[in-house]
Amino acid sequence: MTFVLRMAWRETRAAWRRLLFFFLCIAIGVGAIAALRSIIQNVRGVLVGQARTLIAADIVVSSAQPWTDAARNHIAAALDGVGPVIRAETIETATMARPADPAKPLARMVEVRGIDAAFPLYGSIDLAGGRRYSHALLEHDGVLVRPELLTQLDVAVGDGLVIGNRTFTIRGVIENEPGRRVGGFSLGPRVIIDRDAVGGAGLLTFGSRARYQILLRVEERRVERLVAHLKAQFRNTFIGVRSFRTTEDDLGDDLLRAENYLSLVGLIVVVLGGIGISSVTRVFLEQKLRSIAVLKCLGAGTRQVLAVYVVQVSLLGLAGSLAGLGLGRIALAAAPDQLGAGPSALPLSHALTPAAMLQAIGIGVLIALLFSLVPLLRVRHVRPSLLLRHEESRASGIDWVRYGVTALVVVAVVGLAAWQAASLRVGMAVGIGFGIVVFLLYAAGWLLVRLTARLDRVSWFPVRHAALHLHRPGNQTRLVLLAVGLGAFFIVGIRAVQVNLLREMAVDVGEDTPDMFLIDIQEDQAPGVHAMLRQRTGHDPRVIPVLRARITQVRGRETSLDTIEDIRGRGSLAREYTLTYRPRLERNEQIVAGRFWDGTPSDKPEVSIEESIRERFKIDVGDTIQFTVLGQPIDATVTSVRHVNWRDSRAGGFMFVFRPGVLEDAPHWYIAPVRGPADVGARARLQRDLVVAYPNVSVIDVREVLETVRGVVSNVTLGIAAVGGLVLFTGIVILVGAVAMTKFRRVYEAAILKTLGASARLVGAVLVLEYGILGTLAGIIGALAGSVLGWAVTRYVIQVPWRLPLGDVLASVVITAALVAVVGLLASADVLRGKPLATLRAE
Amino acid sequence: MIELRGVSKTVVSGSAPLTILHPLDLFVPAGQSLAITGPSGSGKSTLLGLIAGLDTPSGGEVIVDGQDITRLDEDRLARLRGEKIGFVFQFFHLIPSLTAFENVLVPMEIARRRDASARARALLEEVGLTGRGHHYPSQLSGGEQQRIALARALANDPGILLADEPTGNLDTANGQHIMNLLLGVNRQRRTTLVLVTHDATLAALAEAQLVLRDGRADRARSTALASAEMRPTP
Repeated sequence: MTFVLRMAWRETRAAWRRLLFFFLCIAIGVGAIAALRSIIQNVRGVLVGQARTLIAADIVVSSAQPWTDAARNHIAAALDGVGPVIRAETIETATMARPADPAKPLARMVEVRGIDAAFPLYGSIDLAGGRRYSHALLEHDGVLVRPELLTQLDVAVGDGLVIGNRTFTIRGVIENEPGRRVGGFSLGPRVIIDRDAVGGAGLLTFGSRARYQILLRVEERRVERLVAHLKAQFRNTFIGVRSFRTTEDDLGDDLLRAENYLSLVGLIVVVLGGIGISSVTRVFLEQKLRSIAVLKCLGAGTRQVLAVYVVQVSLLGLAGSLAGLGLGRIALAAAPDQLGAGPSALPLSHALTPAAMLQAIGIGVLIALLFSLVPLLRVRHVRPSLLLRHEESRASGIDWVRYGVTALVVVAVVGLAAWQAASLRVGMAVGIGFGIVVFLLYAAGWLLVRLTARLDRVSWFPVRHAALHLHRPGNQTRLVLLAVGLGAFFIVGIRAVQVNLLREMAVDVGEDTPDMFLIDIQEDQAPGVHAMLRQRTGHDPRVIPVLRARITQVRGRETSLDTIEDIRGRGSLAREYTLTYRPRLERNEQIVAGRFWDGTPSDKPEVSIEESIRERFKIDVGDTIQFTVLGQPIDATVTSVRHVNWRDSRAGGFMFVFRPGVLEDAPHWYIAPVRGPADVGARARLQRDLVVAYPNVSVIDVREVLETVRGVVSNVTLGIAAVGGLVLFTGIVILVGAVAMTKFRRVYEAAILKTLGASARLVGAVLVLEYGILGTLAGIIGALAGSVLGWAVTRYVIQVPWRLPLGDVLASVVITAALVAVVGLLASADVLRGKPLATLRAE
Repeated sequence: MIELRGVSKTVVSGSAPLTILHPLDLFVPAGQSLAITGPSGSGKSTLLGLIAGLDTPSGGEVIVDGQDITRLDEDRLARLRGEKIGFVFQFFHLIPSLTAFENVLVPMEIARRRDASARARALLEEVGLTGRGHHYPSQLSGGEQQRIALARALANDPGILLADEPTGNLDTANGQHIMNLLLGVNRQRRTTLVLVTHDATLAALAEAQLVLRDGRADRARSTALASAEMRPTP
């Protein structure tokens, strides 16, 4: 054993410089895993510890309907005898707000939260300027607003703000508020008013969307039983009960998933490093054949020699992984110091967590080992008679051990991916996907290298020699193609998707598609709104009747859902759906199954469903769906399935459309998709005038929403492009390593060429051409594969039309070629500088 | 003691089988020095490789210290070489990534000798390279490298020392130095020495000579060869 350890150490001492680059790749991946896992674990630690503050209570009971006496009685009964209870009630709704000053033609959608004096039960509302919050600020029509609303509406503390049909005075600016989801989607900035003022301002009229919450603070030991009891009480209703523990669990789950997916990115880089290691081990061993033969001649068994190199690889893997932790720590230093802003922000640790470090190191060492194992098996076939005469050290016949080990490595890598993603399915998908991409890149590389082989017939010396170099024994051509190509692949793929997505969004707002949606129009307001829109936009607007309903039962051949619990089990089927009724299909609709009604009203309920409902929930023509509209059950028969072209949303899209004749008498309201004026001032005036005339009507400005979406898309693409950049960087590092690895050969060749009369310039030209060709090939392969990825994602995942961004693709090929040529030339500086005699003597 | 019984070696070269060594009987008593000579391609190195168990014969038995080594697997052969056979090559074959001292150390580490360091120092002294132990092979001259290789071959005190053209890559003075060391070892330690050379003067220094020609022993020109029948009965 001491022999193995000593030899491993001595070999490492001699070879680490040449092998360093490959372990640097491991380091980059390990660093990414350690940093990403740590930062999310730190965030999770902070957030989960604050779960009570996040929901501002121990238990939250919430409903989309005003509290009925029955519900209140249930809660009161449940609280009877559980000891001291503090309770608060809040109401949340989205509506429009505008400055009271008529000179300011501005209006914004805001998220209103009405709170009572007991709120919050945990945490505190923090105001700007260090002012203390007290409920008194909200009395007599006081309002607290988020800072962004002040700039958006050009108002200040002390000014008037009209919400609904009431004017409030801005009494403070909210810096932090408990009970608000971190990073969740929001319709607009938060404003806080007194709970009674929500109804008082006319925000709870029929059809408006509100969330009613009862918050409870009880003794900790009572929480679990109380939650269970309340859940049982409200089993077959849509009243939700959650405790801070549920929040803790949900948050924990979300963050864990994010952590796992992100660390897959690191894993891809590590695996890429592993491929580099595999290739470099092969070359390294090629140079070690004599030493291995000597060891065998001196009495070392195959197992001992194999052990020497396995230990050596592990040592380098460990060193690379430790270096990776260093990189990860440096990366973490760039993370924000705190979560949130203001005095209530939560301090965020910059430390790598022990769990993340352990995992990352384990993966680094494991990948180094796994990927070097197959090439190292060649040690078995090295015979000591090699020292007496030159001979090949190949196995005769089929080497089953080699195949077995290769299979083991594949299984282990898939296992690692599954472990990192904490899902076998994702692990398999990533493993197989990565395998296919690698195989394709490798095959393409092989093909292109074969094609360049013809260049050796070119009479121009540098080109001929560059082509010959790409085929020299022990060349790293395919490895570099793979590594650099993979980087280019990610970047081109992502860029192509981004270009197509952004173009599609630009088209969508163009022409005559609606870019403003009016919602919550009351029945008696519909004619007035219609007239106003017609006058201001010059078009005849469509005002569409809608109702909100929940599905409470499904009876069909394939699916039978009898209780609300069943429906909840089907995920999004339990949400509240918006329905409409009309006699005809819209222009963006087609029937794909059954028959659409003939336009005449019928008193038998008939419903047409969108095809995704059929696919996801196995509901088909002939089935019966029970909808509950304001407590009234309606059993409707599915008579047709529609395909809706969602991109052409002029008429809005509805999952469920009813035949006229049933819903007209049920209370409903209207929405109106409108093509607003293009002029910014005219848009603002229209929105404001609508809000002045109809305070309960909300306007969703699609242009603003699209701006937000565009921002999100940019951020996401930036994030994924960073991954591509990381992979490309790894590819470049592998390139440098490959150059260093084969440098001894190159230096020797250059020395011979120089002795034969070649100038340094000529040798340089050969090098530039060699790497130029390599870079061009890598660029072409990456760009081609990336375009295919982009096409597939664009066409089938986000389903928008595909156009090849030819300029970007060509640019990526040129940039990759130039990058590889420059890096290759720089890494070969010794080759050009070296004096021939010294080199030849050393050989 | 080395004994070969009808040992032959045939390889397939292209499509036709090529016999490098025709069936050969040879007996080398313990402590003897034998020089194998002959022109290039006469099978000298092949024969040496077969004796060391570096290669498998196509026929016959190779008996080293009473053990038929043709029946051993690779790992047991390696152990046998480590314990009983020292090897010196024409091209030295030092491990380039190890220092001279470490090169000498390796066989003793493989054999797990406890006195490895002390013995390696003593061996370096014996070959006159005490001060060069920390140098890497590339920093040593050819003669120095071969002396290190000799020290390495002697590390485990083998009963048999095999040398393949040990002076073939050295100038006359260095060649003489190495030859003196080899013969000195043979005489002082009673180590069996088999050396391959095509230098007639060197060959003449050995007690016995085997001359090979086209893979056959040229009995007429060989001298002082012992016969197996002469060996003492155990």
